[in-house]
Amino acid sequence: MQNVVLKGYKDGYEITLNADADFNAILAELTKLFAELQLEKEKSEAKSLSFDISTGTRLLNAEQKQQVEKIVSRYPLFSIHRFTSSVMQVQDALEMIESRTVHLNASTIRNGQTEDVKGDVLFVGDLHQGGILRSTGNIFTFGKNEGILHAGYPNDATAIIIGNIHTTQQVRVADVVDIVEDDKVQTNDETVVFVNDLHVLEYTEREKVKIIRPKLFTRMGGY
Amino acid sequence: MGKAIVITSGKGGVGKTTTSANLGTALALSDKKVCLLDLDIGLRNLDVILGLDNRIIYDIVDVAQGRAKLHQALIKDKRFDEKLFLLPAAQNADKSVLQPEEVKKIVDELKPDFDYVLIDCPAGIEQGFVNAVAGADVAIVVSTPEISAVRDADRVIGLLEKQGLDEPPMLIINRIRTHMMNDGQVMDVDEITQHLSIKLLGIIFEDDQVISTSNKGEPIVLNEKNLASQGYRNIARRLLGETVPLMNLNPEKKKGLFQRISSWFKKD
Repeated sequence: MQNVVLKGYKDGYEITLNADADFNAILAELTKLFAELQLEKEKSEAKSLSFDISTGTRLLNAEQKQQVEKIVSRYPLFSIHRFTSSVMQVQDALEMIESRTVHLNASTIRNGQTEDVKGDVLFVGDLHQGGILRSTGNIFTFGKNEGILHAGYPNDATAIIIGNIHTTQQVRVADVVDIVEDDKVQTNDETVVFVNDLHVLEYTEREKVKIIRPKLFTRMGGY
Repeated sequence: MGKAIVITSGKGGVGKTTTSANLGTALALSDKKVCLLDLDIGLRNLDVILGLDNRIIYDIVDVAQGRAKLHQALIKDKRFDEKLFLLPAAQNADKSVLQPEEVKKIVDELKPDFDYVLIDCPAGIEQGFVNAVAGADVAIVVSTPEISAVRDADRVIGLLEKQGLDEPPMLIINRIRTHMMNDGQVMDVDEITQHLSIKLLGIIFEDDQVISTSNKGEPIVLNEKNLASQGYRNIARRLLGETVPLMNLNPEKKKGLFQRISSWFKKD
């Protein structure tokens, strides 16, 4: 039975490793495959080739990846483009879900407390003076905001904050901070805070989201 | 089994110790057996307010370090026969001599013998605060209507919520100056309660007598007619499960005969 299959596609070559086979058997077959490839390559003109390694329903650990890379590295003309598989670790999957969902948050964030959220957050709680609501994604808020709102923590400058922010102490997006003082921002439940092209915080209205963040707008279901 | 209540605030000078003394006395007057625990080690004064400072022989640090038995260190207040006891703080040590487990052990030892164990917490949120909260089942947060006190109370409530006590913390708003609150110069009771979003246990009006009676070593609660005293008594009743309405911010003065007659002819 063949455990290692080489296929050519429009955009490159893919080597599929049989997920049910013994890994040592795969390594043996891989070694053989590359030896043959090298022979063929030597006949034709030399041109470097890069492969995707697809592992199907098997996940290679770091050590196994190294073993595969070691085999390939014997041939200077060949290289591995990337490893792909159709499965992922549960933990990674959970993290991915976490960072892609909009979390509904109704907590009370008091003076001195920091509420960290992964991904986007829809905040309907109480943010007191001295408290920080910090998310890695966007913040949509119609809670009581008297503390500090921090979107795109630590370095996603594409994140935005939407809501009534004129009562907050500060708004922050990624590494940019703005102190919201009296009368600086209008009392408007639909203020949008974003980092503009000059890497400066700017305030605008809700209607502008489509223009400033088209990707986000589409993701939210606009068109 | 008694209930251990920590009285805390974050900010200093808002009346934690006065509240502890008066609430303890009010509960004792309602026929409950109360033990007051002073954890302000190094700066004790709960004993002074109760007028028991002359009678301290052993303190809580002596108990924790095994130099004295718990019952030896407890001071009985003779005014309330067998109802009010004090475990004083040490004067010649600092807050770090006690560990949270030691305090918890002492409180757990007291709870079976008393209906209420009131723990007077020092100002701040460091070791002293951690010690005081360790043994408590419930917390009472004292604040004044000043923004700085409210802000600190907010911080402390956050810490208390993290601590995971049996019940959510409760609020006492102390030292209310009615004219300032009515004029809108300070946050009003509703604003503070709403901002801190915890249950309001009671309000106490600012009163000169609170200070003058404390100086004599008599809690104000003993004076029945005083407004602050009534505030503390109401709080004690609420703690005991009664429903008592909140005191009025505008106590109506008694009108004279002519005023009453003239008020009949007023249009509104």
